[in-house]
Amino acid sequence: MAPLIVPSRVLGQAAPSRRIAVGIVGCGNIADSHFEALLGRPDDVRIVAVCDVDRVRVEAALARVNRAYGDAGCRGHGDFRELNRRPDVDAVFICTPDHWHALVGIDAARQGKDIYVEKPLTLTIREGRALVEAVRKHGRVAQHGTQHRSMKRFRDAAEYVRSGGLGRLERIDCFIPPNNRHVGATWEPEPVPPGLDWDRWLGPAPWRPYSAVGCHYNFRFIADSAYGQVTNWGAHYLDIAQWALDRDASGPVAVEGRGQFPASGLFTTATRVDFTVHYAGGVPVTCRTRHEGGGTVRFVGERGWVDIARGRMSASDPRLLREMQAPGKAVSLPVSDDHHDNFFASMRSRQRPIADVELGHRTTTVCNLGQIAMVLGRRLQWDPAREEFVGDEMANRLRGRAMRAPWSLA
Amino acid sequence: MTADPAPVPPPADLPKNSFGATPDPWIAAARLDYGADRTLASAVRDQVVHVATAPERDRVEEKLLAALASPDARPAGRAFLCEMLALAGSARSVPALAALLRDPATSDAGRYALEAIPGPEATAALRDALAVLAGPARAGVVGSLAARGEEVRS
Repeated sequence: MAPLIVPSRVLGQAAPSRRIAVGIVGCGNIADSHFEALLGRPDDVRIVAVCDVDRVRVEAALARVNRAYGDAGCRGHGDFRELNRRPDVDAVFICTPDHWHALVGIDAARQGKDIYVEKPLTLTIREGRALVEAVRKHGRVAQHGTQHRSMKRFRDAAEYVRSGGLGRLERIDCFIPPNNRHVGATWEPEPVPPGLDWDRWLGPAPWRPYSAVGCHYNFRFIADSAYGQVTNWGAHYLDIAQWALDRDASGPVAVEGRGQFPASGLFTTATRVDFTVHYAGGVPVTCRTRHEGGGTVRFVGERGWVDIARGRMSASDPRLLREMQAPGKAVSLPVSDDHHDNFFASMRSRQRPIADVELGHRTTTVCNLGQIAMVLGRRLQWDPAREEFVGDEMANRLRGRAMRAPWSLA
Repeated sequence: MTADPAPVPPPADLPKNSFGATPDPWIAAARLDYGADRTLASAVRDQVVHVATAPERDRVEEKLLAALASPDARPAGRAFLCEMLALAGSARSVPALAALLRDPATSDAGRYALEAIPGPEATAALRDALAVLAGPARAGVVGSLAARGEEVRS
């Protein structure tokens, strides 16, 4: 017999026995880490719903969840709107391809759900602002999946830079890995495999025929769905640059870039990323493809540099790293050591989480600025308050895009 | 002594070893198929995004519209040209795009450009289409009008 899952709002915010019920929309690659983390938690959170447009993935996710809980309490869906309308769901994890993030998130907010949105927050700048507005209008908690904000080393670095540990900050260099997949100059449409709702997978993206190399995972290299490593890894490291510069509610004032884009083939995102954003006050932040060494963020100041990645740290002088990790810096930032814990605690407290939707939007905007500058190949002025380019109509048109019918932000 | 074998004549069509006139990239873009080599369409994109003056934009828009009017235009090519008109189109593009918008088979492509083109002409084309479209295509138009900040009763 399936356990009785009572939505937390029924028990009230103060109920000590309150268990948060989670629905996961999109059961592919990035969802795997969420399944693992959530199923490994104590009994404070329970996955009660999974959704995917690929029935094979729904069934695999259902089997995984129900096996872990030892019952049949989790239910599967093919339409996110069904999941969002379930009264027993408190929080929705959005793990879909990027072109779906805004639509699923806005609908979830309207249905009174709190939201964990994988990075990047949305595909376009316009979608990001719409999602922020929906979250605020409906009083929801929304966490952006930039989990570096919940890692001590990145917090240490941001605090250290803000405290002047490197002396005057000269620049920040973000390195991102190259594309980890490649396809040729042409591709063949294929029959849609059984169980996959291809029309729903495309959703608001322009129609194209199905091909296996253009679907699961690889969507990130097709600009109809995502912006390649600019948003895949850039969202993580540019996010820490924004944090260290204290620009979470703002952004750069100019951007310039020169990317290399494949002239043919299914993949359309940059194979070499190279752009620089400039902030008022003069600190440039670069974002470049690095073929050796993986992703990292490097802060360069008059005392030297520190270079921080998920798995390693280095510096021009080891003393800088010791200083960076020492307690008692002049600037202290909010502490989160687990992105999921922080999200669920924020749901209970109704406070904004460590990677609130607004700063997720601002970070994703930086990624978009780089993408647009590389596409246009010219220097652009950006007004972060009005969220518009100054004097470049074509660039402004690239802040958003029409959605395939019937989908819209309305 | 044995004579050398006669050389094998090349096949009539050997693309890797033959050449001809450079195709017109604008016409090639219109004829683009899903999955086909899009190198020439990329050449068109380069010209579109790098326009620097109003006369250049006019010229590019004219070429895009001529390609769009090609009887050989394919769905992928039409979608690509509309994506380019979303960047460089003006009121001059609205009549051609409005015609696409009103046909459910091409409505998304036309709307992709119309939603992005500023001005009352594009707004009017979207509003006029509400009267002739139904179902998903009409819902898309409602969404595009909302994206332009227009009030509309769905």
